[in-house]
Amino acid sequence: MIKLRNLERRYPLAKEKFFYVLRDINIDIQEGEFISIMGPSGAGKSTLLHILGMHDHGWRGEYFFRETAVHHLKTKERATLRNEQIGFVFQQYHLLDDLTVYENLDIPLSYRRYSKSERAALVADTLDRFQIVGKKDLYPRQLSGGQQQLVGVARAIIAEPKLLLADEPTGNLHSGQGEEIMELFRKLNDEGMTIIQVTHSEKNASYGKRTIQLRDGWITKREQ
Amino acid sequence: MNDLKFALRQLRKSPAFTSIAVITLALGIGLNTAIFSLINDLFLKGLPFQEPERVLHILTKGKDRTDEFQMSALRFMLYRDGQTIFSGFAAENQQAATVSGLGDPLSVPIFKATANWFDVLGVRPIMGRTFLPQEEEGADVAIITDRFWKARFAGSQDIIGKTIVLDGVAHTIVGVIAKMPVSWTGPNADVWTTKPMVIPGFSYEKMMRGSAFLRVIGRLKPGVTLDQAKAALGTLEDSYRSQFPERGDAQARNIIKTLPEDVTENLRPGFATLLTAVGFVLLIACSNVANLLLVRFSGRRREISLRLALGATRGSVLRLFVFESVLISLLAGILGAALAWQLVPLVPKLTANFLPIEQGSASALSVPVLLFTIGLSLVTGFAMGLYPALQSSRADIVDALKEGGRGTQGSVRQQQFRKILVGAQVALSVTLLAGASLLITSFVRLSQQDPGFNTDKLWIGVTVLSQAQHPDQARRARFAEQLQTALRATPGFEDLMLSSSFPLFGNPGATLYTRPEGNVPPVAERKGAPSNDIMPGWFRAAGIPLIAGRDFNEQDVMDHPNVIIISKAGAKTVFGDENPIGKTLLITNGSVPVEIVGVVGDVRSVQLNHANNMEFYRPFAQESWPFLKIVVRSPLPPETITYSIQTALRSIDPSLALIWPQPFSEIMAQALGQARLMMWLLGIFAGVALLLASIGIYGAVAYTVEQRTGEIGVRMALGAQTRDVLRLVVNQGMKPVLVGLAIGIAAAFALGRLIGSQLYQVSAHDPLLLGGATVLLMAIALMACLLPARRATNVDPITALRSE
Repeated sequence: MIKLRNLERRYPLAKEKFFYVLRDINIDIQEGEFISIMGPSGAGKSTLLHILGMHDHGWRGEYFFRETAVHHLKTKERATLRNEQIGFVFQQYHLLDDLTVYENLDIPLSYRRYSKSERAALVADTLDRFQIVGKKDLYPRQLSGGQQQLVGVARAIIAEPKLLLADEPTGNLHSGQGEEIMELFRKLNDEGMTIIQVTHSEKNASYGKRTIQLRDGWITKREQ
Repeated sequence: MNDLKFALRQLRKSPAFTSIAVITLALGIGLNTAIFSLINDLFLKGLPFQEPERVLHILTKGKDRTDEFQMSALRFMLYRDGQTIFSGFAAENQQAATVSGLGDPLSVPIFKATANWFDVLGVRPIMGRTFLPQEEEGADVAIITDRFWKARFAGSQDIIGKTIVLDGVAHTIVGVIAKMPVSWTGPNADVWTTKPMVIPGFSYEKMMRGSAFLRVIGRLKPGVTLDQAKAALGTLEDSYRSQFPERGDAQARNIIKTLPEDVTENLRPGFATLLTAVGFVLLIACSNVANLLLVRFSGRRREISLRLALGATRGSVLRLFVFESVLISLLAGILGAALAWQLVPLVPKLTANFLPIEQGSASALSVPVLLFTIGLSLVTGFAMGLYPALQSSRADIVDALKEGGRGTQGSVRQQQFRKILVGAQVALSVTLLAGASLLITSFVRLSQQDPGFNTDKLWIGVTVLSQAQHPDQARRARFAEQLQTALRATPGFEDLMLSSSFPLFGNPGATLYTRPEGNVPPVAERKGAPSNDIMPGWFRAAGIPLIAGRDFNEQDVMDHPNVIIISKAGAKTVFGDENPIGKTLLITNGSVPVEIVGVVGDVRSVQLNHANNMEFYRPFAQESWPFLKIVVRSPLPPETITYSIQTALRSIDPSLALIWPQPFSEIMAQALGQARLMMWLLGIFAGVALLLASIGIYGAVAYTVEQRTGEIGVRMALGAQTRDVLRLVVNQGMKPVLVGLAIGIAAAFALGRLIGSQLYQVSAHDPLLLGGATVLLMAIALMACLLPARRATNVDPITALRSE
């Protein structure tokens, strides 16, 4: 599904000097995999996730997404590809404060080619699937952290992406809530969704089928 | 005191904010101060008379007529003898006279008044006395102003008893008074004499037919109300009508005004509009600064919370913010006063001296104006600072002191307040813009109005033929012929027009007329129209086309049949499709039969914005007045023309002087004076309003974008593309704009009545102009939204998400 070759991300420091965030990254990810990326702070985990999510365009190297050479795509084409194929879950949930749960779920659909009735049907299905129908008219501030992240995951998958990227999805949750979210990820993965998560937690990483260790921008270990 | 020091320090710490807020508010306060200064000069200063509101000016208005006239001599006498409500009832009659014996002959306006004129006004002489009752009819006495005394008699202390020669007659100076206000007398009023019932060239019998030429005033007795006066004068009006039904003014109604009303009423609608407009500008400026204050105060939540945590009361926090706001407005008041100081002297020039303000006396720096500015600054500072201060002093101590709270996006209430401010600015701006576009269009149409004669390269001056030298029609006609012959030989004079009146120059009066056939209406019910006594060749020289019949010629003299030429509109009004040539009209209140010999093109003789239904022209040899208008078409400089004419006049009669010599373009400029004043001032106000409103919209949208950077980043991470972000920001920014536009258009529609009377050939509800104003403001608002919206599209989702 994903093939990264000689990928690097650097920032200019002084004349012809650079600070490397990622170096010589070579990764192959198959459809249906559940990958955990681990490493200390500053290792380049989130940067890698944003490159995979096509938010970050300042990298060099080759990136193939389902046979499409992302490195040859223009920014707008990458955005279209991202909208069609990728969903995001954030550590801080990033729900929009002024929108209800229902409206938050509708947001990704409103940026894609769905008709109004399709959007309503998808939101209703998702509310049902995540068992949050009763909360559809509540605002994020009226939900607990776990509930907010549940909505965050629901929002990430509502447009039926092939790949789900999660940046420390349980970082702001207590252990019970964190387990619920990880169980949910496992369930989604079992249903065929490819998941890549960044995590500090060995326990959360164990939900994945494979772990990639990063340190100072280099891949230091690949574990099955 | 500490709070004041802290507020000052806060303002010094943010010079950019302070400068923007002070300049924005200074524009609003400065323009308000400028207009208030003019209002103070024109309306509030008051007339320098004793209790002027107790003095009534009594005018008359003919049946079915819109214009007002002074009072006839006969009516004045009846009212004076019959009234019991006034402690004094007086009249004066304005003419022009030539002063000789004080260097070059000099023509001045003179006021022939009843003996009690100054007593009724409550004016005391600086030197000498006012007129005595026994001087009213027979004595040649004069009262002069201190200005004339200083200029012409070098302030000589033995002025009382000296003589001044007016139209060849020596008058003894009995008193000196302070100069009178321009708004009451007009410019250059310096000489008063007696004999108000004497008009040169006008017989007593003619005068008693009902011609209105006396300016009549009465001082109310103590305790008599205006309503009582109106009722009493109404009874006298009925009495006049029943006693003198055949007089020309028998059907005329009383028009009663207090003196302050009388001198300001023409200016009231215009200044009401300007005051409203400038109030709008101030409100827009205030809402801009209030928005800035809201942002600034909200950004200090941590400071406020800390103060509250340390024991400050909400009141003390409020006081701190209000001090800051008031300090800003006081600084703006100082800058605004300076702006007004520069602006106010420009206004009379802008209006071609249309405003009745003494030249050079318009000034923004008087005590009442400065008090107004200080008061306005304090009220403004308090009003615009209070709500932001109240909102911001509501800080939740714990939440604000904790880093990582929800940030400073501001409460829903604050966002709503900001939207209301933007909507209000837009509503006020579009109302102003609509008003300005109506007045500008009106001015353009009025300035393009063809007056019906050729005004190109015209010069005009007046001379007054003395009664002693030129006592009758024949001698005045002979003088005019001599002058015409002398001037025609002058090199550089392309055309020459001699007449007793000239279009748009002074008041041509109204001559009554009717057809002699059928039921001839009584004199009092006849219509009136402007009449001009002209020399042969006048039409050709003025560029007025002869449409039918013939021009006057040398045969149209005193002992020949009376002839008249009428205007095209008059021919249509009176004769319909009949041919008027050869028909007869009865004119004047003496029902003089005259034969129509010609029809000429229409001329705007009274006002540029008013077409006359009828205009008469009579041969100078058959009818004339001692006031001769000399008009020349010449490319020569005005001074050269003036010199040539003065030379020609003196060669014929050395006692004659030239009054008011000026290029005709100045008369045209004065005819456009009010329209020009309104156009310029409202245009400037609308421009400032547009600028402030666009800054306001930009500021509000930019602030919202800044506060929503995180949200925009999330949306972009979730798939929003450039157009989605643009749409989001513009939609939200334009919502209050659209609401404001709708309210503004409704307000412009409603306020159309306010300026309706000041418009010319344009409807106060002109859909094209209102639509244009809306589109222009919408386009500017859209630009103001698009700039921050473009910036929002450049938000880097990664950075935005990290900073959240």
